[in-house]
Amino acid sequence: MKGITLNIDPVEARDLLERVPRACVAFTGDEGPQVELVTVLFKDDRYLIGMPSSGASHLTVDEEVVLLVDDGVNFFDLRAIYVRGHFQELGQVEGLAGDFVWVEVQPTRIVAWDYARIREADDES
Amino acid sequence: MMNPDDPAVVDILRRAMVARIATVSRNGRPHVNPLYFVCRNGKIYLGTVERTLAALNVTANPRVTILFNIESQPNDRRVLRIRGSATVRTDSKLCRWYVVRDLRKYIMTRSGVGNTLAHVRLLPAVRRFVSSGEKGKECVLEVRPETAEFLTAPKRVGNKENKAVS
Repeated sequence: MKGITLNIDPVEARDLLERVPRACVAFTGDEGPQVELVTVLFKDDRYLIGMPSSGASHLTVDEEVVLLVDDGVNFFDLRAIYVRGHFQELGQVEGLAGDFVWVEVQPTRIVAWDYARIREADDES
Repeated sequence: MMNPDDPAVVDILRRAMVARIATVSRNGRPHVNPLYFVCRNGKIYLGTVERTLAALNVTANPRVTILFNIESQPNDRRVLRIRGSATVRTDSKLCRWYVVRDLRKYIMTRSGVGNTLAHVRLLPAVRRFVSSGEKGKECVLEVRPETAEFLTAPKRVGNKENKAVS
């Protein structure tokens, strides 16, 4: 069955992980949804996330998180990569901002979309 | 924490274009996605459709946290974080009002028209996407802000700047 989709192969959105126009991580806290600003380093297919220590202190190892890196304002410029996964601790990262806690997101699901690629495709459901 | 009606908060809301809204599912799983929004009378209205994760999550758990920044000023690293409670509104009057405001804010502008004209060949697919109802009917997430605070976006760290992972 055919449907309309915005989804693209995440590889095609990899430039977002290089430029990191806007990035945040969401997780579930005691008082509901939490979201923290992050910086992202995509290295050797690993999603390394730099978080302010205040935000990282709320996370526990293996906790489920969602990383969103998105770009664009106008409708057909909207693009994003969405990584659902689990938070893992990471050792020191040299050469990066020392005022961040660096963690790794081990992905369980990665989705990317690009409104300029809207098209008919086989139904993904 | 700041009051959501603080002038600095109102100013960011007036100039921001894309909201990143975090929600939690019935099972406690996190989600965040970017949505267009407009404001009225101290509330924030985000457009989506009924069967998106954002709408389903708000139905299950009204708590939301939203980030806003001024996209037109990339050197302004302030990011507004608002926490509040949301409801899914499906009444046609509000949805129609939202669509009109959304079109004025995002499409009926110089850059919006230019962007649309540059992708005019895609409009039939957009029309099909909107009218298909694959993800349910259009709805609006109505957010009542409770607290606001300013964060500072981290400086961008490209892979080229990376040195080593120990």
